[in-house]
Amino acid sequence: MNAALDLTLAALADPHRRHVIELLRVQPRPAGELAREVGLAPAAMSRHLRALKESGLVEDSHPAFDARVRVYALRPGPMAELKAWLEETERLWSEQLVAFKAHVER
Amino acid sequence: MTGSKVIVAIRVKASPAEAFQVFVDEIGAWWRPNMLFAFTPRDPGALSFEPGANGRLIETRAGGKVFEIGKIRAWEPPDRLVFGFRQATFTPEQDTEVEARFEAIGDGETRVTVTHTGWDSIPQAHVARHGFPNTILLTRLGEWWRTLLVAYKDEQVERG
Repeated sequence: MNAALDLTLAALADPHRRHVIELLRVQPRPAGELAREVGLAPAAMSRHLRALKESGLVEDSHPAFDARVRVYALRPGPMAELKAWLEETERLWSEQLVAFKAHVER
Repeated sequence: MTGSKVIVAIRVKASPAEAFQVFVDEIGAWWRPNMLFAFTPRDPGALSFEPGANGRLIETRAGGKVFEIGKIRAWEPPDRLVFGFRQATFTPEQDTEVEARFEAIGDGETRVTVTHTGWDSIPQAHVARHGFPNTILLTRLGEWWRTLLVAYKDEQVERG
């Protein structure tokens, strides 16, 4: 489980890959379209997509009508782990600021 | 990534200058140790800022050992303060950052806004363990047991 989150964070450390995630948050897209949107050569995009796939952030599938096209989509799991951690961070600071307020106004 | 930023704000009855000063000078008094965000695996110590542009935020344990949580990266009293935020379990490359802003909002009140970034900033070269989800799980489990034990104790007192 920890290793999974490590992979998630490492995959997200790259700005191109973060851009891909942002795009896939809206809707699943074929690899070619992602390359055009992000402004990368298809070969470079394919390397990034492989890293994202290995991290478990995205998954690919072929549309029923065309086996040559790969469509990429977000997988909910790993993002949910990062989200859980960010929610905990938010909780931490909410508690700290409430304590800070009580202390300042004492 | 836009989703990896945590922003929390609160209004306090104090001027920005007072709020800034208490935030820095008295963090040891207002900070609540948090199991999940323990800076070191040991018992929590006292937090304090060494103030100023070249200062830092440290935790000093009962035995006198000092752990550097982060260096001060922006020192702009009374408006803004930025400091690094590391736990001992972080890898050397892993780093998060906290910005605290103090804005006057009238009626002698100040809005204090904390922005915590960098949870997704780990360089790909160094993928190491830090155990976030497990810690979350264990903390939740710990809270559950604490609740149970308090309930148990209350029960005993009532019966006794």
